[in-house]
Amino acid sequence: MQTKEFLKQMVEATGVSGSECRVADFISRVYGEVCDDVRRDVLGNVIGFKKGSGEGKRPAIMLAGHMDEIGLMVTQIDDKGFLKFTQVGGVDQRTLVAQEVVVHGREDLVGVIGHKPPHLVPPEDRNKAIPMNELQIDLGLPVERVKELVRVGDVVTVKRSFVELGKDIVSCKAMDDRAAVAVIYECLQELRKLRHTADVYAVATTQEEVGLRGATVSTYGINPDIGIAIDVCHGAMPGVPEQDTAPMGKGPSIAFGANIHSKVFDQLVKLAKEYNIPYTLDPTPAGTGTDLWAMQVVRAGIPTALLSIPCRYMHTSVETVSMTDIKLSGRLLAYFIASVDAAFVEGLLCY
Amino acid sequence: MKELIKRLVETYGPAGSEESIREVIMEEVRPYVDELHVDALGNLIALKRGGGKKLMLASHMDEIGVMVTSIDENGFLRFYGVGGISPFSLIGNRCYFANGTVGVFGMERLDAMKDLTMNKMFIDIGVDSREAALEKVKVGDVAAIKREFCDLGKRLVSKAMDDRIACAIQIEALKQVQNPAYDIYAVFTTQEEVGLRGARVAAYGITPDIGIAVDVTRTGDTPKCATMAVCLGKGPTVKVRDSSVLCTPAVRRHMEEVAKANDIPYQLEVLEAGGTDAGAIQLTKSGIPAGVMSIPCRYIHTASEMVDYDDVLNGVRFLVKLMETEYQG
Repeated sequence: MQTKEFLKQMVEATGVSGSECRVADFISRVYGEVCDDVRRDVLGNVIGFKKGSGEGKRPAIMLAGHMDEIGLMVTQIDDKGFLKFTQVGGVDQRTLVAQEVVVHGREDLVGVIGHKPPHLVPPEDRNKAIPMNELQIDLGLPVERVKELVRVGDVVTVKRSFVELGKDIVSCKAMDDRAAVAVIYECLQELRKLRHTADVYAVATTQEEVGLRGATVSTYGINPDIGIAIDVCHGAMPGVPEQDTAPMGKGPSIAFGANIHSKVFDQLVKLAKEYNIPYTLDPTPAGTGTDLWAMQVVRAGIPTALLSIPCRYMHTSVETVSMTDIKLSGRLLAYFIASVDAAFVEGLLCY
Repeated sequence: MKELIKRLVETYGPAGSEESIREVIMEEVRPYVDELHVDALGNLIALKRGGGKKLMLASHMDEIGVMVTSIDENGFLRFYGVGGISPFSLIGNRCYFANGTVGVFGMERLDAMKDLTMNKMFIDIGVDSREAALEKVKVGDVAAIKREFCDLGKRLVSKAMDDRIACAIQIEALKQVQNPAYDIYAVFTTQEEVGLRGARVAAYGITPDIGIAVDVTRTGDTPKCATMAVCLGKGPTVKVRDSSVLCTPAVRRHMEEVAKANDIPYQLEVLEAGGTDAGAIQLTKSGIPAGVMSIPCRYIHTASEMVDYDDVLNGVRFLVKLMETEYQG
C-alpha cells in the first residue's frame, strides 16, 4: 500500500485513547504485510516485529508512534436526548462549536455540536469562547432512541475526511500521531531494501494523549537497546514565532537534550548528512511530552531519541503535515537501523 | 456491617502513617484468608486461595490529612496537606495526631474569604508555648481529620469513607465468598492519596492477571453540581475512566456481565478529575488488565463523606460475584 493511502485510511479510522481497537485492527493488517510478526499487548499496543539478520544476540530497536487520538466522551444524556461530554486528551474547546461529530455508541451516529445563535447571545459574551461544559451534542433523535443507542462513557470523534492540499500537504484529524505510524511504515518498507542486523519492534502505541501509558508498558515488555519515539512538533504557521516551529517539507526535526541519548542523536545527524536527507534541529531542554519521556526510564533505563514531523494546528481536526517529511523521516530511520550493530549498542553505555 | 464501617473510618491512618489502620484490618481479615503479609510500602496483602489466575483487589486504607511544617513560639502549628485537601474544608474542623493529641484549625484575618490558602491557616493544640507544643507534637507529624461516624439510616457519613468504605466491602466480601475462581490477592493499599504509590509496588510484586480497584467516586445528584451521571443509591459503578485510568474495555465488559447476570444494580462512571489504584496497576510491567468498582460518595475529601448503605451492600454482592467469576480476557 502507498504510504499516503495508509495514512488516509488511518486518520479516517477511529481510535480515541483507550478505545484504539478499530485503528489498531487496520494497522495490524498493514504491518502484517511488512513485518515477520504482529502482536498486541494488554494495553492494545500493536507491536510489529521485523527480525534482523545474523546469528547471536541482535540489538533490539523500538520505534514508537502513537495511534491514539484525542476525542470526546459522553458524560450524561439529558431528558431531551442531548449529550453532555468531556474530553479525552487535550481537546481545544474553542474548536468544538459547529463541528460534526460521530458518536461511537451501539452503532456510529452522526451528531452536531451546536450552540445558541449570535442573535441570542448577550453582546458582552459574543467574543468569548464557549466552555465545553456549556456545549452539547445533538443527534436529532428522540430521547428514547438516544438512550437505546448511547451510553455514558461512549467515545466521540470529530467527523473529518482526509484532504490533499496541493501536491504535498495533507490534512485531517489524528495526524497527531498517525503521521508517525506512517513514518514507521515507510521505514519498514525501506528496510526491505537494506541489510540490518538489529531486530526492529515497530510499535503503534496507545493512550499517549492521556499520559504516555501504552509506551510505558510496551517498552517494559520489549526492553529494547534503543528506543526512538516519533511524534509531531509545531509546523511553521502564521502567528507563531519561527523559533517555536519547524518548517514544513524540510525533513524531520531531530531533538536533542537531556532526555535524548547524545550518541543516538549524533548518529541520526551524521546519517542525515551522509544520505543528503534534510533535517532541522529541535533543542529540548526538558520534557517533550512524547512517548520518549516514558520510554527513557523503563526498567534499568533505555537510550532514547525523538524524531518529529512538523504539523500545523495541532490538537484540532485539521492537523496538517507534509508527505515529504513523512517519507524523509522513514528513510532516515531505516538508515539508522541499518547502521546499528552490537558495537554501537555497547558504545551507548560508555560515557 | 455498620459496626465494621464505623471502626474503620474512625481509625487514624493518613497516607504514609497507616500502622494503626493496618492493625485493625489485619485483625478483621485474618480468620478469612490463607496468608497475610505486609510489603515494604506497608501494603497489607491478604491471599485467599481458589486456584487459577491471580486476581488483585485494591482498596486503599490511607486517608487524607495534614503534616506539621513548623511550630511558632506561641505553640501554633503551621501545616500543609497530605493528599488533596482544601483549606476551605478545614475551617471549623478538628484534627488528631497518632498519639491522640487533638488540634483545631484556625486562620489569620483575611480581607476576603476567597483569599484563604493553607499557609494562612494554623493548628491550635491548646498550648501557649513552643516548649509545651513540643511535648505533644513535632515537625513532620501527621494529623487526620477528627470526625465521628454518623448513621443517618439509609445514608452513612464520616471522614475517611474514602476509601475505608471500600476496605469494609473488601473485608466483608472475603468473609462471604464461597467459591473463589482465582488466587485472590486482596490488597489494602497505602499512599493512594499521594499518587497511587502503594498499589504500584503491590501490583509489581504480585503481577496479577487482572486487577480491580475499589474506591469512591463523585456524584451528580446534589443542587447545582457539576455534570455527572452517577447518583447515590443507584448501585456501585463500573468505571469507564478517570484522570488516572481508561479501564481495560474487556474488564469493563466482564464487570457489566457479572452485574447483569446477578441482578446487581450498577451505574457507568465517567469521573473527570481524580485517580484510583487501577491507574497504577494497569501500567505495571508489560500491562495488567484493570477495572474499578466505585461506591458513589458525596462531599469527597471533606470531614463528611456520604455514601448510601444500599450501594455498600450491593458493592459487597458485586465484589463477591467478581471473586467467583473467572475473567476470560
